[in-house]
Amino acid sequence: MEVITLLIPIALVLALSFIVGFIWMTVKGQYDDLETPAMRMLIEEKNLNKKNNINTKEEKK
Amino acid sequence: MTKCIHCDEDIQIPIYNDGDENHHSPFCCNGCLTVYNVINFKGLEKYYEIKRQSAIYKRRSPVEERKLQFRFLDNQEFLNDYSYSSLSAAPTMEFYLEGIHCLACLWLIEKLPEYLEDVEQCRLDMQRSVATVTLKAQGLFSNVARELNNLGYKPHPLKRNQSTQNLRNKEERKMLLKIGIAGAGAGNIMLYAVAIYAGAGENYAQFFNWLTVVFALPVLFYSALPFYQNAYHALKNRTLSIDIPISMALLMGAFSGLYNLAIGVNENFFDSLTALVFLLLLSRYFLNKIQEEGLSANDLNFFYEGESVLKLMDGQFVETHPQFLEVGDTIKVSTNEMIPADGIITEGKTLLNNSLLTGESRPENVGVNSLVYSGTINLTNAIIIKVESVKSETRIGKILKQIENGWIHKSPIVDLTNKISKYFVAGVFIVASILFLSLYYQGKTKLALERAVTLLIVTCPCALALATPLTLTRTLSRASKSGIIIKNTEVIEKLASVNTVFLDKTGTLTYGNLKIDNFNILKKSAYPLLQVVASLEKTSTHPSAKALKEFALKDSAQEILSVENYKEIMGTGVEGNIGVHFYEIKHGSIFEDKILIAKFSLKDHIRPDTKNAVSKLKAQGLNVKMLSGDKLLIAKSIAESAGIDQENVFAELSPETKLSMIKEQSHSLMVGDGANDAMALCNSYVSVAVLGSLDISLRASDIYLTTPGISHVPQLITISSETMKVIKRNLVLSLLYNSLSVYAAFAGIISPLVAAIIMPVSSLTVLASTLIGTKKLNLLLNNKKEL
Repeated sequence: MEVITLLIPIALVLALSFIVGFIWMTVKGQYDDLETPAMRMLIEEKNLNKKNNINTKEEKK
Repeated sequence: MTKCIHCDEDIQIPIYNDGDENHHSPFCCNGCLTVYNVINFKGLEKYYEIKRQSAIYKRRSPVEERKLQFRFLDNQEFLNDYSYSSLSAAPTMEFYLEGIHCLACLWLIEKLPEYLEDVEQCRLDMQRSVATVTLKAQGLFSNVARELNNLGYKPHPLKRNQSTQNLRNKEERKMLLKIGIAGAGAGNIMLYAVAIYAGAGENYAQFFNWLTVVFALPVLFYSALPFYQNAYHALKNRTLSIDIPISMALLMGAFSGLYNLAIGVNENFFDSLTALVFLLLLSRYFLNKIQEEGLSANDLNFFYEGESVLKLMDGQFVETHPQFLEVGDTIKVSTNEMIPADGIITEGKTLLNNSLLTGESRPENVGVNSLVYSGTINLTNAIIIKVESVKSETRIGKILKQIENGWIHKSPIVDLTNKISKYFVAGVFIVASILFLSLYYQGKTKLALERAVTLLIVTCPCALALATPLTLTRTLSRASKSGIIIKNTEVIEKLASVNTVFLDKTGTLTYGNLKIDNFNILKKSAYPLLQVVASLEKTSTHPSAKALKEFALKDSAQEILSVENYKEIMGTGVEGNIGVHFYEIKHGSIFEDKILIAKFSLKDHIRPDTKNAVSKLKAQGLNVKMLSGDKLLIAKSIAESAGIDQENVFAELSPETKLSMIKEQSHSLMVGDGANDAMALCNSYVSVAVLGSLDISLRASDIYLTTPGISHVPQLITISSETMKVIKRNLVLSLLYNSLSVYAAFAGIISPLVAAIIMPVSSLTVLASTLIGTKKLNLLLNNKKEL
């Protein structure tokens, strides 16, 4: 049973980190539009003009 | 100027197909020519027909009479109101785009920065059809709007902060946070609660108890806030709400849990209560989500303003936004444009489509000194108008204002769940006091208090509160897939008590545009008659001319003959020479050299599904009445073919009289499609808007059908009555579970463990009952064809 003294803190840290992650994502607005991003990722990014790159496109390169 | 027959662009130097000596089909470029040939070669020439027709349907010719320049978008005054700065301080504007529907649209629009130098970034929100465009330093919004318009997505700039979207986003984020925290809290508490129930040792149990309290506090005091707020408002307004007993149980649970912690008893109801908060928040969230589909009432004003207008400034007509029109301005309205303000014609004669205001199918003749209203469409000739009133002072503006108020002040009904909550609260309190008093007189004060508090906690109407949102969510989401968008959940309950159905005529029962009814050829003409008709009416934009053209070209393409001395006589017809003969088309007759050769009549045809739907509505025991702004005779003939009794036909009504008729009738259901119905719609007990030419404005009514015609209305009524059956069944089930917990509390066998079993089981039962639905409901919701 002593192992529980290790496992419970781990579980708590995990739980808290997920909650913090969730709060962060929500506040940043990642859940605002659930439809468009799902479609956006289906579009191939090939002939991109470097100058006009927008952030998300850069990540894909 | 010739126009490319593929893309409708103006052509400088036309090119032709080999063998096209008559130069029938000019192209602007080899690209269009190739595509045109491919389309024709594959037997897909119907494309051009569809394109032409859909353009008519949208009230736009394929080529705008005047190319929209959108210069007003660069006007500093305009920018102050409409644009804002992005994070990098670049000017940004939001556009509502017409015609967004698929991945290709997304691709095309988000590629904007690549082919338009002005644009730094462009993001599209497909749910709302709103593009957010950020400019580069020297960029101009007019270029962006022109490009979007050329691509076929007509842009409407959205006023900064006018859209309530930002606020809604914030609200939604807060709601999501609450749900997420409640979910995390409930999940974690369950872990430790199970350990306690399973008989953890004394030290562990105490530690776990602490943990559950730590996780429960944010859930009960942050996530559950909406319940407390609702309960507070309900109490303040002296109305009923199911949130009152819920808040009571939650607060009781929270304080008894904290008390137990303080006195060292490792027992609390946090596992059940947090799970309940999570489930309830979730079910309400989904219900809200579904109701938000489509446009909200706040977004609709700009559709009546049109997008730009030619205003006389320093002797020249300059393009500007209707926003900047003032009383006394002189404006020019070209063919097929919407008049943006009320005013008096100072120059020109034309036909106006007044259907927005009157619902009348036939256009009205207007000339100098005629009063014209904002929102009407100029059909035939350009006119110059002196502006008399603008924006909210116009007739349509006033109507819209009334609509807004109507929707705000529509008195909400207390739904079934909340009605029950009154008896529920009373019942629980009576039972709790009986329990308390009976034990108190036995001298067990402490036990009495404990039991009574426990009773209040475990009778938390969890399943009761879940029953309605769950059922509604299912019905609404399925219905919206079949084209019935229900924006207001109350109507499901209201529909059950509807006794009279008011139907609008033009556009709802009928197609809303004129078609040839009779065409009698009396005498043979020198040229094939249909050819003559098609040639003479080629350029006219009069609705009768359109009907004739459509009729002439219905079966086969007609060779267009060249017409000399062509003349369109306002309000009469057209005339011209073909070869040596002189032809006239006027007043339903066709003359060749002044000799009558054919007669025709026009009629707004009834939709094929109308009669069936009307008889179904009658079979459901409803009183079906027809309201129309049109002439009585026309209305009666339509009513006859629709199967509506003659005494139930009310014609020649203004929007205002329609309104008063609706107001007289309680429990009325109104079905309509135009702004002339809008006032009546917002004042009826339940309003249904059908897809029509003026659809956008009415998407804010209770129910919006994405199909034209009334064929879905009888099904709608069945769906609502069946949904109510499921709701009632759910309510009965959940009350049963509550009686069970009351019994357990009396018997003293209740413990957090028993509560932890009863609560989820009752919720699951309600869920299962919802999913099972009723046979009829499943049939209606699952089978698209049935709908």
